[in-house]
Order: sequence, then structure tokens, then C-alpha cells
Amino acid sequence: MARYVAKRLLALIPVILIVAVVVFMLVQLTPGDPASILLGDEADAASIAQLNAELGMDLPLREQFMNWFNNVLKGNLGSSIFFKKPVTEMFWTNFKPTLALALYAEIIAVVLALVFGSLAAKFRGTWLDHAVNGFTVLGISVPSFLWALILVMVFAVYFRLFPSSGYKDLSNGFLPFMRYLTLPAVALGLVQSSIMTRITRINMIEALESPYIKATTARGISSRKVVFKHALKNAFLPILTVIGDSFGGLITGAAVVETVFNIPGIGQLIINSIERRDYIVIQGSIILITFIYLSLNLVIDILYGVVDPRVHLESEAS
Amino acid sequence: MKRNGNLFKKLRIGFSVLVTLAATGGTPAVMVSAQEATYDLEATLDIAFASNLTTLDPHLTTNQATRDVGRQIFETLLTLNENYEVVPSLAESYEISEDGLTYTFFLREGVKFHNGDTLEASDVVASMEKWLETSTQGKANLAGAEFVEVDDLTVELHVTQASLIVPYVLADQAPFPAIVPAESVASADETGLTEFVGTGPFQLAEWTPDQQIVLERFEDYVAREDESSGLGGKKEALVKEVVFHIVTDTSTRIAGITTGEYDIAFDIPLDNAAQIESLEDVTSVFSPAGTATYVFNNAQGPFADPKLRKAFNAALNVEEALLTAYSNPEYYTLDSALALPDQTDWYSQAGSDQYNQNNIELARQLVEESTYDGEEVVILTTRDYPDHYNLAIVAQQTLENIGVSVRLDIYDWPTTQEVRKDPANFDLFPMTFAIRPTIHQNPFLDSKAEYAGWTNSPEIDELLVAITQESDFSAAKPLIDELQAEVWNYLPIVKLGNYTDLAAVNHQVEGYSELIGPILWNVGKTE
Repeated sequence: MARYVAKRLLALIPVILIVAVVVFMLVQLTPGDPASILLGDEADAASIAQLNAELGMDLPLREQFMNWFNNVLKGNLGSSIFFKKPVTEMFWTNFKPTLALALYAEIIAVVLALVFGSLAAKFRGTWLDHAVNGFTVLGISVPSFLWALILVMVFAVYFRLFPSSGYKDLSNGFLPFMRYLTLPAVALGLVQSSIMTRITRINMIEALESPYIKATTARGISSRKVVFKHALKNAFLPILTVIGDSFGGLITGAAVVETVFNIPGIGQLIINSIERRDYIVIQGSIILITFIYLSLNLVIDILYGVVDPRVHLESEAS
Repeated sequence: MKRNGNLFKKLRIGFSVLVTLAATGGTPAVMVSAQEATYDLEATLDIAFASNLTTLDPHLTTNQATRDVGRQIFETLLTLNENYEVVPSLAESYEISEDGLTYTFFLREGVKFHNGDTLEASDVVASMEKWLETSTQGKANLAGAEFVEVDDLTVELHVTQASLIVPYVLADQAPFPAIVPAESVASADETGLTEFVGTGPFQLAEWTPDQQIVLERFEDYVAREDESSGLGGKKEALVKEVVFHIVTDTSTRIAGITTGEYDIAFDIPLDNAAQIESLEDVTSVFSPAGTATYVFNNAQGPFADPKLRKAFNAALNVEEALLTAYSNPEYYTLDSALALPDQTDWYSQAGSDQYNQNNIELARQLVEESTYDGEEVVILTTRDYPDHYNLAIVAQQTLENIGVSVRLDIYDWPTTQEVRKDPANFDLFPMTFAIRPTIHQNPFLDSKAEYAGWTNSPEIDELLVAITQESDFSAAKPLIDELQAEVWNYLPIVKLGNYTDLAAVNHQVEGYSELIGPILWNVGKTE
């Protein structure tokens, strides 16, 4: 197991190198520069050129990349041009809200998916099954930001039950923390749950038809135990894949919902940095996100081995 | 049936949890007793701020976000009153020498910085020298000028050439010459100040990038005695705290002002004005925001030929253009003058016969007479500013109507700034300009300004200088008229009109006003 993990971690490096090159080129080739943004619309060309030179922007691209990437390998991702804070500090500060939101959304999604997917499979063909199917189609077709706006209109503006935007971290108390995250988490969770529900339902149908389940039922085990304890566990692997994918997607892609709800997450950080052309922060953040996403995949793969002892992660030869 | 019962029980529990969560919210507790009138002096003013602040160094940048937040914590030697006239602020008074080459500023005594130090001439000299180095207006209008300390409370400005507009330049709003301690100037680096210490009624408590800026009342603020007017006079911080929440999404700002989460929401699109008006406990505040124009590439391309510029100007229906951009005639005024009517020293209707001609016949004829031979005219714009974008569409249709073929190039805002640097890239772009204290500060007039557009009119250059040589504004008036007329003759830009912006203010907030940006002192929250 340890060798497997070590091999996987080593495999990360070439991926990160490729990502670094691509991100660096994309960012450098985009028109605009930080000095123009900082100095404003009416600044003269000489001042802008001078500030760009002071910031090291006029060195040849290869040199700029080598300087930056050498530091990255040593663990130094640089500092923001505008705020003088280290990129790692800015990233982790913004990562906490995104992580909280992603976890909350994922929990909502998984609970909804497992419950309703299993029920739909158990009561296949009934009104419940049709209702669940209908709802999942709606959930997949309607984009998360539209759910977000609808939820805000109904629950925040009309019913005044939840705040319309903002984020309160745990230092303000657990209850406010949850209140501010609920609507955004539901907006994201609804979309994710739709996909997961459908996968759960399909896999549960298959599991419920299998002979060993019929045998279990014949022995008199309660229907609930059959569904949730026996069938679900065995149907779980593909569902786990979807959960992993979905969680990775939530971490990296909640940018629109973060903007609507004004949550200071990494989506917002990257968008703002792009608008400002804060190159170092953009590059560093993408590298970190890549690393997180790949690590997440690694964790899911390891969980496979845990959930289903029949899975061998390494090849037979070892 | 038991099994389903258990499941539904769990669902009901889950639902109750959600409802409990929702119910724990509610209006935040309102604090403490007021000492003055009916204002809650311990209140916090929550502001939904539309722009993301990139720097708090007011010397460095023309960005309006920096101006809007910075002016609450920094002060200047001179500033503008409600009639856009120059009045002293940190200076008690000032004198101009006979030959106009020396300005003497007498500083107010005992003014405190936020760090406890007292304002002295050395701080003023260091701050003004820094501003001269980095501000476009300082460099353009005060080339070779020098600030000198005479004694602890007296500073002299030596200029190389006498100019009527020097006080106006010193009262400019973005970049504005904030007075900071000499130590702050020394510790600044190439991206500006590293500490933000001012003399204003509020001080910086916290700046969390991309999220919020928190200002709190400066208890030791030394106020002027004279009546407040515009940006001058007596300033009082009537709230304990001002929080600028950075909320770039419009619908989020509107939702927040509707639910009362924010006390003031800035930059409400004019399209949403009706929605704000319909809210019971929110007032709409319209303030002059700037001028809308089209800027030509005067250096190269089809519009380098004045005839084609005149053709476009002749064809324009200004009513339609402004209606498209601002959606409601209440939110703009048609005006050919570069200055606002309130700016009495600068306002001139000269050249207005050239304005809003809406004459397609004449336009087509002028196109014939010009050197235009069918090449594509490139209009540069961005969707980041909806009014710019709408004006670009109008320009495209106007030009196509008079036989000129057009290509619309749409980019995000930073990219348009980049593209604009090269005259080969565009021929026309719509642009809005902030209100400036003088006509001279419009970047599209002086040929030395190198503003994208590259105006090159010796007549305009001469008039700009001549105006500054006059002894006072009544003597300068005929020259200002000539300048305004020449702007309509040379057509470096086409002025369309003046527009307002909309702030939504909760009815509990009293005293809010704007003058080239928001004024947050003398603003109180009732209980």
C-alpha cells in the first residue's frame, strides 16, 4: 500500500509541470498587465512600463518561467503583486470557505442521492420512482447559478429565512456559519445529487436483482436492512467514483455560486486575480488546485481498497 | 409500513433542523443609546461596494474604488465644495505671489494623524512630492514644480510657470494628493504605500483583500469649524464603523439592500432603478457621475481625417444613443459642454450648433468628401461596462447607416486597455469620464497627454495654455468658450451628455451625499 501511494505521488510531478507550463503561457499571453490595472485608466505609457519593469515583467518569458517554477519546486509559490501576501496564505484563507461549502453541498447531495436513489430502485415503476426521475432531470438541466438565484429570491428575499449573501466563518459561531452556507450548499447540492441519484438508482436496481439479495430476503432480513445494509454496500463502488468526481468538481468549480453568494472562496480568488492580472496568484492557485484534485483522486482510489476488499490496487506481480 | 415510517420520521427531523437553522437568524441587535439627535453613534454602516480595491494608495491610481474609500481616511491641502470651487482643507489658507510662481500654504495647527503624530510641513512636502511623481495630472500640469518646507506649519509650492488652474489641480480627486506622514512616504515601494495613515474622520481598521474594508471612527479627529459643503468644511464621523463589503455581483447587491443587510448599495444599474424605487424602506439617490463620449483615433486610420469625424458627429442622434445606454431620460442630460452646469467657472455652450445634428444627409455627403474608401472601421468596446457596450452598438448602426462598414471588437476591460495602446488596433471607442475640477484634466485634449486618441491640435494646445495664463476666471471665460468651440471643430471626441449613477440608501441612513464619489462623514443611522 505504501509503495502504491509513493508511486502515485511521484506521478504527480510531471502532471504539475505540464499544468505549470500551460497556465504560465495562458496567463502571460493574455493581453493586459498588472501595472495598467494598478495605475488606472489614464496612466501614461512610461509609468506603466516602469512599474512593469520593477515587477520583473520585462524579462524574457523563459527566464520568468524558470525563476517562478524553480521556486515552486522548493515550495515557494511567490507573493501577490497587489497585496504582498504569500500565495499559499491567500489560497488557504480562501480555501476554507470553498471546502466548507463543498463538504456541506456534498453531504446534502449524498444523503439525497443515497436515500432517494435507493428508494427509487426499491419501488421501481411506482409514482415515487417517476417523481425522483423527474426531479433528477430537472436538477441536471437547471444550472447551479439559476438554482442559486431562485433560492435567494424565495428563501432570502421573500421569506427572509436565510441571508441573501455573505459568509461567516466558524469564529462567529456554528449556527451563523451554517445559516450563511445553507442556500449556496443547496444550490450546488441539488445539481450534484441529481447525477448521483441516477447512478445510485441504476446500481441499486442491479444489486437488488442479484441472487444473493433474493437469498437474503428469503431468509427474512427486514427490507430496510436489505436495501441499505446489504445492497447499497455492494453497489457502492461506482457511486463512490461519482462522489469523488463530484467533490473534486465542487472544490474546483463553485466559482459562479461563490460569486452570486459573495463567498470568499478560491473561485472568487482566481476570478479576481484574473481581472487584476495578478499573475503569481493565478499561477500558484491553479497549481494548488491541480495538486488537491489529484490527491483527492488518490484518496478515492485508496478508499476503493477499503470499501471493497476484493479490489487489488497494485498489480499481481507485487 | 414501519420501515417507511422510520424513513419519513428521519425526513421530518431533517426538515425541522433546516427550519431551526433558518429561524435562528433575524435582525442583528441594535446597540446603545445615542448622544446626539436621534443617531445611533455606535452604529455600523454596511455598504455594498461594487468594485474590487486594488490599492489604497491615492497618489498612484485613477481607479475610482481607491478614491471612494481613500477619501474617507485621507485629506488634502485643498478640496472642492458643493459648487466644485476650490476651498482649503488641511490648509488654513493659502496665498499666491504677484508673479504667480509661488503658492504659500499655511497649515492648520494641531491636526492629528491616525498614528497620533501631529501634521507638520515635512509630511506635506514628502506627500506632495510623491504625488507629483506618480500622478498623471501632477506631471502634466505641474511639471518641474517643487514643494518646500518653510517652517513647521508653512509649505511653499514653486511652479515653473504661473497658471490659473494650479489650485484645481491640487484639488483633483483621482489621483488625489493625500497627506500622509513622511515615514509612510519613506516606507512606500514601487506598488505604493505600505501603511495607510491619514488625518481623516475615519481610519483604516482592516482590509481583507477581495472581501471587505473596515473603517472606524478616528476619535482624535480635528475638524474644521466652517460649515460643511461638498468635500470641504466640518466633517463628523457619525457612525462608529463603516464596512465596505466587496460585492461585485449586481443581483447580490440588490438582494442585500432589499433585505436590509446593507445600508447603502452603490452602482445599481439604471435598469434596476424602478425596482429600487418600489421598495418601501429604500431611497434612490442619483448623483452626477460623469460624461459619456465617443473617442476617435485621431492619429491614424479613417478617423484621422476630420471630415469623417464630422460625418459621424453629424449623423448621431444623441437622444437615441443616451437612451440606449441609460434606459431612462431621468438618468442623463444632453449637454454639449465638457463641464457640468454647476461648474460655473468652466461651463460653456460654445460650439453647441455642432451638437446632436441628427442629419443623415449631411453625414453621407461628408463621408463622400472625406478620404474614406470603404475600409472597415474598428469600434473597440467591452461588456464589462454595459453603457459602453450599448453606445458601441449605436455607433455601429449610425456608421453603417451612412455607408461606413464597421467591425465591433469586444474584450474584457483590462484587454481593451491593452489593445488601446496601439493606434493600429482601433478607430473609435465609447468612453465615460469622471467629473474633473477643470477642463484641462480631460486626458483627450492636450497633445502631450498621449491618451489613446492622440489628439494633436495646436489650437487646442495653445488655448489650454492661454487659459492658465489669465489672472482670473472672468478674464479666462472668452478663452474657455473658444476652447469649447474648438473641441467641437476638431472633434477629438464627441461629447454626448452627462449621466448619473444610482445608489440605494436605506431610510435609516441620513445625510448621505456624493460629489465625484461618496461622502460618508456627516452620515448617521437613526435607531
